[in-house]
Amino acid sequence: MRTRREFLKTAAGAGFVLAIDLKAFCAAEAKADFSPNAYIEIHPDNNIRLWVTRTEMGQGVRTTLPMMLADELEVEWSQIQLEQAATVPRFQGIRLRTSGSGSTVGTYNSLRKAGATARVMLIGAAADKWGVEPATCRAQAGSVVHLPSGRKATYGQLADAASKRPVPENPPLKDPKEFRYIGKPMKRTDGHAILTGTATYGLDTRVPGMLYAVVKRCPYLKGSVISFDRSKAMAVRGVRHVIPIESGLATGVAVVADQTWSAMKGAEALEVNWNPGPNCNFDSDQFLGEMEEALGESGYYVRGDGDAAQAAASEGRKLEAVYEFPFQAHAPLEVMNCVADVRADSCEIWVPTQAPTTAQEYTAKQLGIPVEAVTVNVTLTGGGFGRRLFVDYVPEAVEISKAIGKPVQVVWTRSDDMRFGFFQPPSIVRIAGGFDHAGKPLFWSQRSVGCDLSMFGPLDAKALADPRHYFNDGSPWGSFDNPYNFPNLQADFVRRNSPVPTGPWRAVEYPGQVFARESFIDEMAHAAGRDPLELRLELLQPGDVLKLGDAKVDRGRLIGALRLVAEKSNWHQAPVTMPDRLWGHGVACNIYSDDCFMAQVAEVSVGKSAGDIRVHRIVCALDCGRVINPLGLEGQTESGVTWGLTATLRGRIDFRNGTAVQENYVDYEVIRMHEAPVIETHILPSELSPGGFGETAVPPVAPAVANAIFAATGKRVRRLPITSKKLRA
Amino acid sequence: MPKYTLRVNRQVHQVDADPEMPLLWALRDLLQLTGTKYGCGIGICGACTVHEDGRAARSCEITVANAVGREYVTIEGLSAAGDHPCQRAWIEEDVSQCGYCQAGMMMTAAALLAEKPHPSDAEIDLVMSELVCRCGTYQRIRKAIHRAASEGKAT
Repeated sequence: MRTRREFLKTAAGAGFVLAIDLKAFCAAEAKADFSPNAYIEIHPDNNIRLWVTRTEMGQGVRTTLPMMLADELEVEWSQIQLEQAATVPRFQGIRLRTSGSGSTVGTYNSLRKAGATARVMLIGAAADKWGVEPATCRAQAGSVVHLPSGRKATYGQLADAASKRPVPENPPLKDPKEFRYIGKPMKRTDGHAILTGTATYGLDTRVPGMLYAVVKRCPYLKGSVISFDRSKAMAVRGVRHVIPIESGLATGVAVVADQTWSAMKGAEALEVNWNPGPNCNFDSDQFLGEMEEALGESGYYVRGDGDAAQAAASEGRKLEAVYEFPFQAHAPLEVMNCVADVRADSCEIWVPTQAPTTAQEYTAKQLGIPVEAVTVNVTLTGGGFGRRLFVDYVPEAVEISKAIGKPVQVVWTRSDDMRFGFFQPPSIVRIAGGFDHAGKPLFWSQRSVGCDLSMFGPLDAKALADPRHYFNDGSPWGSFDNPYNFPNLQADFVRRNSPVPTGPWRAVEYPGQVFARESFIDEMAHAAGRDPLELRLELLQPGDVLKLGDAKVDRGRLIGALRLVAEKSNWHQAPVTMPDRLWGHGVACNIYSDDCFMAQVAEVSVGKSAGDIRVHRIVCALDCGRVINPLGLEGQTESGVTWGLTATLRGRIDFRNGTAVQENYVDYEVIRMHEAPVIETHILPSELSPGGFGETAVPPVAPAVANAIFAATGKRVRRLPITSKKLRA
Repeated sequence: MPKYTLRVNRQVHQVDADPEMPLLWALRDLLQLTGTKYGCGIGICGACTVHEDGRAARSCEITVANAVGREYVTIEGLSAAGDHPCQRAWIEEDVSQCGYCQAGMMMTAAALLAEKPHPSDAEIDLVMSELVCRCGTYQRIRKAIHRAASEGKAT
């Protein structure tokens, strides 16, 4: 090898070669990083960086996704430096959106392949270096080892050589028997940062020169600003600007200040004259009444097996019931927020969002600059639950930053967050069912009245004109994919929309539909004097896979979950006797999106005189294919159950005079520790493809609890939330 | 603006602030101690819990003017190396999901354990039910408090 001194001596006499030689020389000096794909970067100093391409909101992607990469890559967990993907060219063509419980399902193959690609290239580099066959080398713990000789090189030492090798198209994946991380309980990677206060959530973003903004929002749905008097707001110490804004979900006037508190005080002091707009008389009770009236209309086709109408006209035991699921808020603990820094020809954003690419596109359009000029950095997220799939808080921050020429953090107050969301829309479901003379289930007839999710824009005329539009869309979830095998099964959907913005909430359409379906199965069982769990098992026979359009409803796997929950909950035990309380248990089950199977048994008691409800235990049995992180799966089960329990016993958003009534955790109560039941998670082992689990545990909770309350008290509550008052009525 | 002297995490800070500014925002926006979280702003969720003279207190309800002369500890100052028995127990039980409420949860639990080294489930529920976790990590929090109680003496 030429020394630097020799090089410079030679180069001095040959001017024009110098530039080229110098470049070659520098390249030889600086060893290349090894980055065979967007997810992995290995530096010569053995720094191993892995990128997470989904948003962490508590569901565990910053643990699960690196587990899949690290397993195939063969690195020690302690060697990894985690990075969060931003909307930069490196991730062009890679999905950064987090939704539909899809992060594990959507990355399992690609991340394993990415890890395996790097492993194969590192082994190849080592084998070349040592002049041996790659098959005699093995990757382990961040090094390649030549097995016969014991020679060893770290990934860092091999990075430069590996970076010069061709990228293999189909690298061999590991035999699942050799998984090191996949399937093992792994603790949250951000645990230590969270517990020492160093983890950065959106609201913790601090950019030099940043100001803080709070928006006084028009309280009326789609109302607007007529005029405002900025003087009282400007008089608050620390307030710098008062500017009307037009972007975002609810228009209003932004108060920009040196600190959050000054901005909040300024927004309180600000006087605005509102135009209440077209919806100032909107009342959610009235709307629910209109939805119920719409049960009289015929709807879009959802299911039509056999002839339910004819079966309903025949003799035999019949019953019918109507169920109601009200508006719900997401109420994540971290309020909506966003930092935007609009510069001359570019914009940088820091935001806790599930949809960074959407934020990038919107911002580019808003500012009239190319998409590449906008960088969206994704922070940790204090809960998402679907609310952060829309990015209305981003254009607000962009508009304000542009107006004041400085970086700004828009902070929603808790009241803003509760009143101006994309709410879970209500649903009204009527089901009729009956048995034949022999007591065999004969028919099921369901009509669901519900809303389209306004977050995704209005349906076009073509979709509306298609009587099978909702069927083709697989909607409504929980009615469309009803797993029960009735000889005559009919279901349709009537749409009724309100001015309330609506969007996906944890488990989207399932909670309202599954509450109705699983409650009604229970009602049928009691009407026929049958055990509710046994009747479900019978209705899932022959355990086949029902094909509906592109969907596959695997009844056999649901039977497996029901049998396991029966065993683990000791379903056939004698009722528990309590001195002043009535005890009961109830069962419910559901399939989330074809690939996650969940059965739950709830055990409750109700005070004989006070009618107070206690949920003691919820036993969950599930099959979601191969489990990546069983510890994370248990956490998601506990989380989903608690979420479902809030909707069952507490949650409800009301609108009066075009304004949401509930404003904080005082009037939108969530389950707290003293009400939280013991939650058990029992997992059916499976080697099938992993299913997405962030939402699976939610839908069965309300019906399992309602069915348990019926078993305890003989009272059937069909309108959520279930309260002591309703039980005493 | 008036100047106030705040004692936080065994350090003395001078802040210029409105006397009514809640300690929460002084910590976050003036002292850059963002580990203390904003949740509800009215003292009902507990995300902003800090220690005030050794007791759990809601920093959204304490004004800067009233904070003078008292000793505060935030999550950043709970332990030097992140190894307070609660921090270790929270890691062991893998409590955090989104994690946003957990600083408040741990500060509350640490204050509880300082007062009652071996709380019963009922005593834990009484105190911890004043806080909100939207991810529903309650049963792990309870386990972690028991674990911290049993291992606390080791430090």
